[in-house]
Amino acid sequence: MAVPLKYNWRNLCVRWRLTLATMLGIALVVAVFIMVMALANGLKVTYISTGDPRNLLVLRKGSTAESSSQITRNDVRLIKYLEGIARDADGQPLASPEILVLINLQRRDRRGSANVLVRGIGPVGLQLRTRIHLIQGRMFQPGLHECVVSRRIAERFANCEVGQQFRTGRTFWRVVGIFDAEKTAYESEIWVDADEARNVFKRNFYGSILIRPVEDLAVVARMIHRMETDKQLSVRVLPETEYYQEQTRTATPIQWLGSVLAVVMSIGAAFSAMNTMYAAVSSRTREIGTLRVLGFRRRQIYVSFLLESVLLAICGGVIGCLFSLPLNGVATGTMSWTTFSEVAFEFRITPLLLAEGMAFALAMGVMGGLLPARMAARKPVLDALRSA
Amino acid sequence: MTVPGFILRNALRNKRRLVLTLLSVTLSLFLFTMLQTALREMTQPAQTEDSALRIIVRHKVSLGNALPIRHQSRIERTPGVRVCSKFTWFGGLYKDPKDFFPQFGVDADKIAQIFTEAQFDPQEVAAFVKDRAGCIVGVKTMERFGWKVGDKITLQGTIWPCDLHLTIRGVYRGGIDETNLFFHHEYMDELCRRPGLALMFWIRADSREVIPELIRRIDEMFANSDAETKTETERAFLLEFVSLIGNVKLLIGSICSVIVFTLILVTASTMSMAIRERTREIAVLKAIGYDGWQVFGLILAESFGLAITGGFLGCFGAWWGTWALFQRVNIAAISNGMFIKFEVTPHIVASGMLIAVVLGIVSCLAPAWAAVRTSVVTGLKELD
Repeated sequence: MAVPLKYNWRNLCVRWRLTLATMLGIALVVAVFIMVMALANGLKVTYISTGDPRNLLVLRKGSTAESSSQITRNDVRLIKYLEGIARDADGQPLASPEILVLINLQRRDRRGSANVLVRGIGPVGLQLRTRIHLIQGRMFQPGLHECVVSRRIAERFANCEVGQQFRTGRTFWRVVGIFDAEKTAYESEIWVDADEARNVFKRNFYGSILIRPVEDLAVVARMIHRMETDKQLSVRVLPETEYYQEQTRTATPIQWLGSVLAVVMSIGAAFSAMNTMYAAVSSRTREIGTLRVLGFRRRQIYVSFLLESVLLAICGGVIGCLFSLPLNGVATGTMSWTTFSEVAFEFRITPLLLAEGMAFALAMGVMGGLLPARMAARKPVLDALRSA
Repeated sequence: MTVPGFILRNALRNKRRLVLTLLSVTLSLFLFTMLQTALREMTQPAQTEDSALRIIVRHKVSLGNALPIRHQSRIERTPGVRVCSKFTWFGGLYKDPKDFFPQFGVDADKIAQIFTEAQFDPQEVAAFVKDRAGCIVGVKTMERFGWKVGDKITLQGTIWPCDLHLTIRGVYRGGIDETNLFFHHEYMDELCRRPGLALMFWIRADSREVIPELIRRIDEMFANSDAETKTETERAFLLEFVSLIGNVKLLIGSICSVIVFTLILVTASTMSMAIRERTREIAVLKAIGYDGWQVFGLILAESFGLAITGGFLGCFGAWWGTWALFQRVNIAAISNGMFIKFEVTPHIVASGMLIAVVLGIVSCLAPAWAAVRTSVVTGLKELD
């Protein structure tokens, strides 16, 4: 029979002040880890969930971002009527030439400014993005300098509510609607008419073309080959989802920060757990002797003390998870290293992340408990009983 | 036995506990120092006498919009402008996206006059000016890729629709950022069929005094034109760039406070452990004539010594460690250009030590106070 767990639990409760301090230490380490990783996670999920797997994106060869890609009007004319692009009910090809422009907007309450993406888009582009719907107002009308903004932009920036207007250069844009993009990267964009945007921002080219290919894969493969090998075009074609996945690298520095912090801090916390456990072992020398006399083996004593340390760490881990949970869903923003614009996202705590946090806690418990448990198991019975 | 000897003996009584506590204090303050340094590197662009004279002109709409080159001649004629150079971010691809480093198209003959704090070899600059397809590279980037003067490199355009085939004509050292590559703006214009655009203009002003007036004048000059400008000092420009990354200050600041809080928790529990097992001894000390405050002093000194030693190891360890490490490795390369250098400042070390001092005092307050209050009789009655 193993030493009952209740014995360990009661021991932890007896020295509750020390137990609590150690637990809190472990809890804070776990909480910091989960928070930083939730930040990276939220950012990644935003990009991964963006894009329709059925769509293809055409960019200039060598361009890494839509905002820095250039596609001439000639190219657009050529690509639009290629065989392999699906058509809508009216027989129009489902190809949407778009332009992405970076503008600087004031934040709410005049707290600085940030870069925001303005997407010039046509009716076909709206058709190709089915997950976006207006939640307030109406769609923009070309030619009137109207725009629709995402919900997040309306929340974070000044003069972005329906009926208000903001200025870029010499042009005033009137906000006529707010759309919801289901937490995708489009949540960080302002949409206007494509030709109007090219006119106002003086671009005689487009940035990208979003196309919906037909379902026949052989035809699509031929079309892609045609586009990528055409000397006149110099473009690359990639699935829309892949384009957004590439941008998850924005989250890499945050992930690094999270991992380094977690490792270093957990070593520190393991030291404190070790201290606690050593103290527990030395103050219970007599008890250990008694247990041995009662017939418990060295191995059982060893496991018992190790379990006590793990129990301590798991309680700490649970507290840490509880500390971090309120952060789930809190909105924040950072700059995308691909487009240099602000991308809005929220902290996202997943069950997997909580499990990782608990794994860290467990590791701290084991690291902190191994040596003290060995010391406890090695105590000679007689000496242990004799001690005061 | 002297008083310091007595304190030392007490501290060393349980060596294992001492080492473990010392290690956790060291580790935490090490982390604190590193985080503060990272924060400082990210949020506080270095400023020198020379950089204070630099002004940056860019498009008012955003950095994603370029200015017409014709603005340059009007800027140059503005009184107070000593030199003005086009300054265009190329953002080209060298081999792999991981091999990123900043590249700028500039007016070749003016670059040495704008970055006066950097050391240029006049002969190399002359060679660079003469070769339209030449470039001058910062020493850090040269080392990172193992380049030599005379090497040929190709940068694939990601923003501008052209590829640059450059020959390295020189190296510069010093200045704020030793990772940049400068090439002829002219060369890029030619390859991209003369779009007539420059992303920014960098100016060196005559003196600090003229700067506010100069900024106002330039912005006024282009107000209501089709390309309005935003002019600001280099420092303001860099700070704005940092603010885009998000609230780094809040993130790192809150992590640091969690670290400090955890540290106090851990040390306080260790100190109370150490003092509780000495209740009898303290009673004896009091019985032979030490008063409460002297006992308090003894405990404080012990805790203080522990925290200061840990703080010293942690902060100075970080100071020396980063210094020794970055003598050998290129910080810009391993951080993918995020950090240009990683320098622990005396200010940061001082704040780390301050935390250690506070830690030493706070962590022993509760147990020491309990020891002071315990009467001799209760203390002596206590069993271990």
